[in-house]
Amino acid sequence: MLGAMINGWLALATTALATVSPAAPAGPPTAGAPAPTLAELPEILTAVRSPGARAVLVNVWATWCDPCRQEMPELIRFYRDHREDGLRLVLVSADDEENRAQVAQVLAEAGLPADTLSFIKRGDDMKFIDGLDRHWSGALPASFLFDGRGRKRRTWLGPVTYHSLELGAGRLLTAPVTPAPQPGRRRP
Amino acid sequence: MTFAPFVLATALSMAGVLPIGKPAPESNIKMKNALDGKSISIADVTGKAGTLVIFTCDHCPFARGWEGRIVELGNAYVKKGIGVILINANDPAEHQEDGVAGMQARAKGANMQIPYVVDETSNVARAFGATVTPEVFLFDRHGKLAYHGTVDDNLKQPDQVQKHYLKDALDAVVAGKPPALPETKSLGCGIKYRPSS
Repeated sequence: MLGAMINGWLALATTALATVSPAAPAGPPTAGAPAPTLAELPEILTAVRSPGARAVLVNVWATWCDPCRQEMPELIRFYRDHREDGLRLVLVSADDEENRAQVAQVLAEAGLPADTLSFIKRGDDMKFIDGLDRHWSGALPASFLFDGRGRKRRTWLGPVTYHSLELGAGRLLTAPVTPAPQPGRRRP
Repeated sequence: MTFAPFVLATALSMAGVLPIGKPAPESNIKMKNALDGKSISIADVTGKAGTLVIFTCDHCPFARGWEGRIVELGNAYVKKGIGVILINANDPAEHQEDGVAGMQARAKGANMQIPYVVDETSNVARAFGATVTPEVFLFDRHGKLAYHGTVDDNLKQPDQVQKHYLKDALDAVVAGKPPALPETKSLGCGIKYRPSS
């Protein structure tokens, strides 16, 4: 099951990178890190809610944000240690669209695995902020934990550490995967 | 593999932000104005029509992007009876640009005619529950918070702004009316608080 889960969302990553923003130019070549894709909130939430993960960690960051860059190694280490447990990592940069090369470069230098979903946020700030957490002021960095059914379970305002991620996400990563309900079907 | 219990508390919470309708906290704390070295408080700048308090800084691309519009609005609405004060609560140990020299340089470059003060303990920002730069708090003529949030809906392209949140709120407060949209948000830099004493 685990293999199928990983394969499923590797396919999701590939699909997202290929289809979320068809108008987006191709990113620069990087050493394994994914090229960031331009996306608005609905596309980002689609990536969050796609089936196959036990937990989805969304991190909002920017290349010019020192605390964001400082926490990135912790995020990546946590992801590497737990992706086989069903963790999906979704990075959303608040950089300008024209900074795509710099976003990709920072992620490549941080050693981000190629199976991570990486976006550059577009669209209205208020909808984006409230869509992730209405209690979030919009200050960077911020991280949000969703369960495998796309329900938000935890928010970190400010930098995270490996330990704080483990405290917050541990229970979800050891829980069994619950299939999402089918549209139009009532729960028993 | 074992994990500690699921922890629900967050490091910072918007639950602590000053609610609409409340007066400015810590309004008598004196803060040094980077422009002239004099110490002033929020109470010292209170205007007859209202008071505009903005937490901002010098290193943050968001604060820099809105700086011209903030200064333009501040300079203009002082003449309409709004008291204005810009507050930098960032720890300059985190970013050297947020020190007094950096503040002075940016204030002169921006033709700032309003006080730009240093929150030397970050306690004023803490009391407001401010977490991001820039973050706007606009109080009405009765001293009650009437508007909290951001400047407008387009950081990068001032000529393509669709929603002039702060200007609309200022016009309402000057007219003695509540702003139509009392709370807004935008992405921004987290305030780098000085360590608590």
